[in-house]
Amino acid sequence: MKYPEIDKYAELDSLIHRFDPRAKIITFTLLIFSFVFIEDIRIAFVSLLFSFFILLVSRIPFGFIFNRMKPGLIFVMPFLIVMPFALDGNVLYSYNGISISYDGLYYGSLVVIRAATSIMLTLIMLGTTKMDTTMKSLHSLKVPSPFVQTLMFSYRYIFVFIDEFLSMWTSMKAKGFKVKANKHSLSIIGNIVGMILVRSYERAERVYHSMASKGYTGESRTIVKFKMQTADYGLAAILIGTVLIFIIYGMSLS
Amino acid sequence: MKTAISITDLNYSYPDGTKALDNVNIEIEQGEKIVIMGPNGAGKTTLFLHLNGVIRAEQDNVKIFGNNIGSMKTEDRIREVGVVFAEPDDQLFMSTVYDDIAFGPLNMGLSEEEVDRRVKKALATVGLEGFEDKVPHHMSFGQKKKAALAAVLSMEPRVLVLDEPTANLDPKSRADLIRVINDLNKNHGITTVIAMHDINALSELADRVYVLNRSIVAEGPTRDIFSDHVLVKENNLDAPDIFKFFKILKCFGGDCDQTPMSIDESVKELTQAIEALEGKMSLHIHESTHEMVNDVISSYRH
Ligand SMILES: Nc1ncnc2c1ncn2[C@@H]1O[C@H](COP(=O)(O)OP(=O)(O)OP(=O)(O)O)[C@@H](O)[C@H]1O
Ligand SMILES: [Mg+2]
Repeated sequence: MKYPEIDKYAELDSLIHRFDPRAKIITFTLLIFSFVFIEDIRIAFVSLLFSFFILLVSRIPFGFIFNRMKPGLIFVMPFLIVMPFALDGNVLYSYNGISISYDGLYYGSLVVIRAATSIMLTLIMLGTTKMDTTMKSLHSLKVPSPFVQTLMFSYRYIFVFIDEFLSMWTSMKAKGFKVKANKHSLSIIGNIVGMILVRSYERAERVYHSMASKGYTGESRTIVKFKMQTADYGLAAILIGTVLIFIIYGMSLS
Repeated sequence: MKTAISITDLNYSYPDGTKALDNVNIEIEQGEKIVIMGPNGAGKTTLFLHLNGVIRAEQDNVKIFGNNIGSMKTEDRIREVGVVFAEPDDQLFMSTVYDDIAFGPLNMGLSEEEVDRRVKKALATVGLEGFEDKVPHHMSFGQKKKAALAAVLSMEPRVLVLDEPTANLDPKSRADLIRVINDLNKNHGITTVIAMHDINALSELADRVYVLNRSIVAEGPTRDIFSDHVLVKENNLDAPDIFKFFKILKCFGGDCDQTPMSIDESVKELTQAIEALEGKMSLHIHESTHEMVNDVISSYRH
């Protein structure tokens, strides 16, 4: 199993990496939101190319991003398959009463392109900043503290969780366990899942105790030091300008 | 001298009915170096959970510098006593080592400069300079243990409580840690209370030993505890190797004033003993030597 290490390439150096993390979060969020509302498939396609261009600039290996895009794309793929059959409209092709509609194909593709664009941008945003910096930026952008803390602890403990699962799994295999499609195998798997839940609950309790014994009262206090540079304002302006061009061009078409 | 920790008639049972502590009495003076030993499941960790307020005793059984720990304010408590538990992953919950070590000091309301100073100092103390931006899942177990210790040191508590600090450390790190603890104790007047199974580190980390086995079964200077081989055996303990070796040496006629507990002590004792014999110690085998040696060995064997 691979660790979900989203910030594996955060130590590279590029224009996107150097971008102030708070400005990055704001502008990328703007980009994503304006791109998912694009109605015209040609503009949507250009926005996908634009995101790809940002990926090039960020110098993160394509394979890394594409691998992580897969789960999301698999999730939206059914739209592309179902919509051409389900939606009425101009018939593109028809066979034995089953027809594929042009509108269905259009909207199906639009959904997939929008999803690809927004997932890619999200991954670039997260992939070019170290996770703790992202969390601190969210904190300094006044995102509610319970939300940021939940994110932070989830990210911290998912690794512990995976290690725990792997070590249990290895020790089961070392004792001759093989997954088979029978009742015994299933009941054992059920057992580990239960075990993991109990362990996580107990760990959460111990972590909380450890925090409490260091004076935690629910408030998150971290030292945040960010400073916007001229280059950051410049890049933010360019990206926001791009958003505006997309929006204005989109409006002029409709 | 002031009493740092005073525990009187402490009882504790876990919700499932396991009786973990039975009438425990402990009295530790400020500046003392204490080790608590005892078999697995003896209640050492449970005892320590009482010292940082995780488990609250029903009466005023646990006092730190005269104050009942249950009714102390959190800010005051964390200035007085810091507990480092054995499992580092539970104690490093922030995203970077820096944030973890800064966590306590920030909660104490210290200024950013002071927090920064303390983080740097704590990292240097445990030998993790340059680890500020490391994330815990990229660190080895021993490094995480050191970071967890640093995260408590940064609060600069007057009493430092450590649960199995030397477990899983490589020999150099173990020696470094022993040095750190001794430095804190000797030069900064910090009272240290340690639970561990590492008997060979004992003489360096303890002025006095408590043997805990649900209740306190023995208490006293290290050498007295380990001379009582019935006590040692009954509580799953063992004497340090050097101690046993000098007991054996005695069977061959190599008699020292006191049986040494550590390598350093052995040098001192041997020198004294040989000087008293005008520069020459002779070893020999006589009738009962083998019998005596066997007695020594079997008295400590499990
Ligand atoms: N959460 C719990 N619920 C129920 N029983 C517990 C719990 N934690 C510990 N115990 C029991 O309490 C007793 C004391 O456990 P404790 O962890 O304090 O021992 P210990 O001296 O630290 O042992 P070790 O040397 O193995 O670390 C044991 O019998 C243990 O099984
Ligand atoms: Mg323990």
